[in-house]
Amino acid sequence: MIPDPNFGWTGTVGEVILGATRSEGGTRSRSYRIGGGTTLPFMEKDTAARPPLIAFEICDDPRYWSPIVNEYCGDLIHDPAAWAKTAETAYGADLVRLCLTSTKQRDFSDIATLGKTTESVLTGTALPLIIEGSNEPKIDSEVFQKCGETGQGERLLLGTAEAGRYRSIAAAALAYNHAIIAQSPIDINLAKQLNILLKEIGISRDHIVIDPYTGALGYGFEYTYSAMERIRFSALKGDTDLAMPMICAPSDSLTIKEVREADAGSRDAMAVEWEFTTSLAAAVAGAEIVCVRHPLTVKRLKEAFYGLNTRTGGA
Amino acid sequence: MPLKALDIYKLLPRKNCKECGDPTCLTFAMKLAAGKADIELCPYLDENAKSVLGATTRPPIRRVKLGVGERSFAVGEEFVLYRHDKTFYHPPGIMFVVSDTQSEEEITAITARVRDETLTRVGADLKFNGTAIVNTSGTIEAYAKAVAAVEKTAGLPEVLVSENPAALAAALVLCGSYHPTICAATPENYKQICALAKQYACRLVVRASTLEALVQLAKDCVAEGVPDILLDPGAKTLGDFLYRSTAVRQLAITRAVPDLGYPVYLDATTFEDEDAAIALGIVKYASVIVAKPLSPASAKAALTLRQNIYTDPQKPIQMNPGIYRVGTPGKDAPVLMTVNFSLTYFTLQGYLESTRIPCFMLIVDTEGLSVLTSVAAGKLNESLVRDAIKKFGVEGEVNHRKLIIPGYAAPLSGRIEEATGWKVLVGPRDAAEIGEYLVQEWKP
Ligand code: B12
Ligand code: SF4
Repeated sequence: MIPDPNFGWTGTVGEVILGATRSEGGTRSRSYRIGGGTTLPFMEKDTAARPPLIAFEICDDPRYWSPIVNEYCGDLIHDPAAWAKTAETAYGADLVRLCLTSTKQRDFSDIATLGKTTESVLTGTALPLIIEGSNEPKIDSEVFQKCGETGQGERLLLGTAEAGRYRSIAAAALAYNHAIIAQSPIDINLAKQLNILLKEIGISRDHIVIDPYTGALGYGFEYTYSAMERIRFSALKGDTDLAMPMICAPSDSLTIKEVREADAGSRDAMAVEWEFTTSLAAAVAGAEIVCVRHPLTVKRLKEAFYGLNTRTGGA
Repeated sequence: MPLKALDIYKLLPRKNCKECGDPTCLTFAMKLAAGKADIELCPYLDENAKSVLGATTRPPIRRVKLGVGERSFAVGEEFVLYRHDKTFYHPPGIMFVVSDTQSEEEITAITARVRDETLTRVGADLKFNGTAIVNTSGTIEAYAKAVAAVEKTAGLPEVLVSENPAALAAALVLCGSYHPTICAATPENYKQICALAKQYACRLVVRASTLEALVQLAKDCVAEGVPDILLDPGAKTLGDFLYRSTAVRQLAITRAVPDLGYPVYLDATTFEDEDAAIALGIVKYASVIVAKPLSPASAKAALTLRQNIYTDPQKPIQMNPGIYRVGTPGKDAPVLMTVNFSLTYFTLQGYLESTRIPCFMLIVDTEGLSVLTSVAAGKLNESLVRDAIKKFGVEGEVNHRKLIIPGYAAPLSGRIEEATGWKVLVGPRDAAEIGEYLVQEWKP
């Protein structure tokens, strides 16, 4: 008899709930419970384990978005609600991540419009949402307050808390019961420290998703891959300060040299290949949400995750 | 439990005869302890010593070398499950498939592509590794012709994919002295296949869809005299591959099932999304990956992922600090400062070359960290820049005293100016804009 690979783990990745259906107090068509892993990704005994979720990223100001995606998505980029709906119905995303890129404008102050955009996206799609907020510390407090309030009851995932910048987002999450993304620059110790800071101000473990920061393929991905493996490993060994699900956002994939310099005919293929490869490898290292920007990446990832969760016969 | 060098030494003949290639029995023992030598190298071991040492000193995964000559490559000899525990040593060979139903021109073109295609990234030349020649036709003549076409084009490692011993025999007449790999031995055909593999000293892929059957088959083939084995876990889905390959690696490196201690073979062509299988093979312990010729995007992504995952996590790819020239710069050429992280150096250098403006690159020692990372970590500072200017004699190279620094190092500009006495110009953040910047801003 060949023994099952035995790793001797005792810990479990904690669970986080995203989105809320009507019966759960929100308006989403479904909600997700992510985390819960007891071994390496895709190695669970129960092969019906949950596949990683695919979040499609949209924005409210396409001037700060990849021209490749803008070209591919056409007029949708000027209508976040319709874009979100298309992500759900045509692209096949599990989640929509709304990036409030309008906050990148110099001296941005139109907080009211952010609320309206969030509201329209919540109406446009019934999927659970990630809202990626403020680009400027000075307006964090107002931005997160506004988004949090608008999404009250919906169990949003709010992004992004960093070591020097987490109070405003945490306050909004606490006030309106949302989860938050905690990002640290590719370093397991910094990830742990940030989680402890968040714990100290009252954010519970089941409201945190770790973003270990994704260096794109060829641009630091090897660091990200190992940081993710180590975080997962620590969780399984029982370190509860690292036992949260992880998110991977390889948005840098679309700005790297290989993609930018690809000729017009192969730019989409290159962009998709880079997002796909980075996201797939990150999921194998432990990411449970992967965020992508090119519509064509969604379907490919979905099929690959399905294949990874299918096993024939015994070991 | 691995044995310590001294325990091993006690079991050796202690003749210090050097026949193992080491100067003393003790140095040989040290190598054995590190899993870097094979006990077979000492001809004087008694049976007892052999059986004790055999199980614990050979590398947990056998080293297998494919092909001969310049493009041959070794796989196996891995020790860890996670790259951060040490490093992964032997990147998987990626072999392109040709079929004996293709025309000679097609076969030649694919083989030539494997021979010639090079992706230069971070100063390394990344290449595909060989061809896998498939006996799709089922006939002997066509197969021999296909193998001949490959042989004529390049001396690359080959995998002979056929379960027909007669076809294999015809192919081996042509390439049998180049250590090709035969694919595959199965529980049904292994005796005949092993006879051929043994006759030509081939590497052998053994295929079975349970680990139990794989272990048995590997043992049987070794018993038939074929030690250089690759394991094909017969995965039908990506999940099968991930699970079985991880199990093989884990059970082998912990020596829980020593007979799984062979490199893993992955036929990616059987998967709907071949790129997904390749990526999975690269991160999850495949040693030989067979694939259809890849599209340009897939080729770049696969080679880049392989380079990333097989980079030693203990030392980022670094450049030697110093003064580097782009073109033949004169006394009034610009001097651009950057860090010694290879990725940064080669990115900037690539853009500088395409500007066709001759210049100097001053590479300072940030211990292999990128610009942003080293600024954030405090590794890039004014005294480092001042010392580098002195040490590399930049003052003798140019008449002016102007230094262009990366846009991301802007916060340091005042301090660098003070410490060096040079006028500091803050360049763009993105190296892609360096050409435009130099044209507009550079005056000696
Ligand atoms: C991979 C990575 C790491 C790796 C190290 C990689 C390495 N060898 O440097 C690891 C995991 C070790 C790491 C560690 C840290 N990192 Co880090 N890391 C990254 C990441 C993802 C990619 C870096 C990279 O490879 N860039 C690619 C190279 C080519 O870029 P570059 O050197 O800047 O070169 C470009 C330009 O500067 C320009 N350029 C270069 N030279 C020149 C010269 C001239 C004259 C001109 C004009 C232009 C120019 O051209 C290049 C292409 O455009 C970045 C995020 C990012 N997207 O940049 C974060 C990032 C740089 N890291 C960050 C931080 C904070 C850190 C840490 C300090 C964290 C910590 N507290 O420990 C540590 C520091 C390391 C230490 N203590 O030793 C932050 C920096 C924040 C800031 N804005 O200051 C970033 C931006 C991540 C983030 N968003 O938080 N990191
Ligand atoms: S061949 Fe054997 S006996 Fe001779 S030096 Fe090497 S280990 Fe010692």
